[in-house]
Amino acid sequence: MIQATDAFERIVHWVMAISCIILFLTGLGMMFHSLNFIGTMMGGLKSLKFVHNWTALVFGFSLIFAISMWWREAGVIEMPEDLEWIKCAGGYLWHVEHPPESGKYNPGQKMFFIAVALCGPLMVVTGLLMMFQILPTALTRWMYTLHAVGFVTLFAFFFVHVYLGTVGNPGSFQAMTTGWVTRGWARKQHPKWLKEMEHHGTLVVYGEEKKPAAGGHG
Amino acid sequence: MQATEIVKLIDTTRCTACRGCQVACKQWNEMPGKRTRNFGSYQNPPDLQWNTWTLIRFQEHVDSKGNFKWLFRKDGCMHCTDAACVKVCPSGALFYTEFGTVGLKEDLCIGCKNCVAACPFEVPRYDGAKDRITKCDLCHTRLQAGRQPACVLSCPTGALTIGRKDMMLKAAEKRVKELGGDANVYGDKFVGGTHVLYVLSEKPEVYDALPKSPSVPLSILVWKDFLKPVSLLAAGGILVGSFLHYLIHGPKLPDDAGDAGKKEGGE
Repeated sequence: MIQATDAFERIVHWVMAISCIILFLTGLGMMFHSLNFIGTMMGGLKSLKFVHNWTALVFGFSLIFAISMWWREAGVIEMPEDLEWIKCAGGYLWHVEHPPESGKYNPGQKMFFIAVALCGPLMVVTGLLMMFQILPTALTRWMYTLHAVGFVTLFAFFFVHVYLGTVGNPGSFQAMTTGWVTRGWARKQHPKWLKEMEHHGTLVVYGEEKKPAAGGHG
Repeated sequence: MQATEIVKLIDTTRCTACRGCQVACKQWNEMPGKRTRNFGSYQNPPDLQWNTWTLIRFQEHVDSKGNFKWLFRKDGCMHCTDAACVKVCPSGALFYTEFGTVGLKEDLCIGCKNCVAACPFEVPRYDGAKDRITKCDLCHTRLQAGRQPACVLSCPTGALTIGRKDMMLKAAEKRVKELGGDANVYGDKFVGGTHVLYVLSEKPEVYDALPKSPSVPLSILVWKDFLKPVSLLAAGGILVGSFLHYLIHGPKLPDDAGDAGKKEGGE
């Protein structure tokens, strides 16, 4: 087994994920009259509004950690190799004999990170300006539109992320639970990253050296 | 219950700015007075506020011939047929009544202020202490009881009248013809027609705080009529797409030589 994430990364990820899901649900409860019952479960839409606004604070903090922690690895598209990957969609959409080898984050993951890193702060800022309407009314109105643009983007990306992080890429989910992934997974998904770590001697390995054939979780 | 559409007609040319309507509104709706400030005008308070749902605006106007005129305009909710506030209200607190007016169920209001931003007339006001908005509901309960709104009842000059929509429109047009000149009917030509009509003696653009051609703002239409359905379509499309991807293309499985074959990938 190979260590893919440290505990702090996983905590930030889940704080963000859970706050984001709560924000989705409460936001939907306000966006659609047919989903007002989500508010009823919280003791009314007014409570739902408070849950939404305060959860946004948690989301905002997790966003600060997430961006400062991951932008170097996941926020920079490296031009020749990442473009090659994008051209063949990393082999995800049609058969590609040898998709370009990706590093720790493939360009698809980078795009997801960039979407969150842009839309996340957009949601916090527009949300605050909807709460505290300090701008001229003509501008405040567009904050609602931008908030909805951010929502459309994040909501769609959310499902892509959930699919690709679970059943779409078996073996990936452990990276966000225990933090340990198999060597076979790493070789398939992020060969360049694996090689780099082996080369630099930064690979953190657990279990496999003693019982190479067991393949269990020790 | 389906009643006929009603319209309140405000004939600004008959208004003497006695502000009886302003007081009657406060009394009937039990809105407190608040400390105000003098800004060099009889207009008091300076603007609509959560406890002032209707306000006589005093405006000094010099027309193109150099004649001085004092324009009085009773400001307040216009009760749009196509109301931006109802469109953005998340809880259904703002709703269309059986009279075509826009009512407010204040216990449903969550104080989100969406309507404050959306209203092209900037009518709804936020009451911070109660965390909810207020606005004129054209005395919905009085209308239901077959009575006139408090403001109309109080008006001594006949500047305020209320009745069936078609009749009030006819009366407004008749009055405009009598007045001639720049006089015009304001309210029937936009947002599906308002349920408060003005007879104005001057062109609409002359008046303070009165939009020339109000509409449901574009930002609100993009938000509610485009992005809102798109959010579900996009997410739904992704879900269906993911499922099909799983069935057609299949997941990306780990290198199944697995940990056992580490030698070929490793050192």
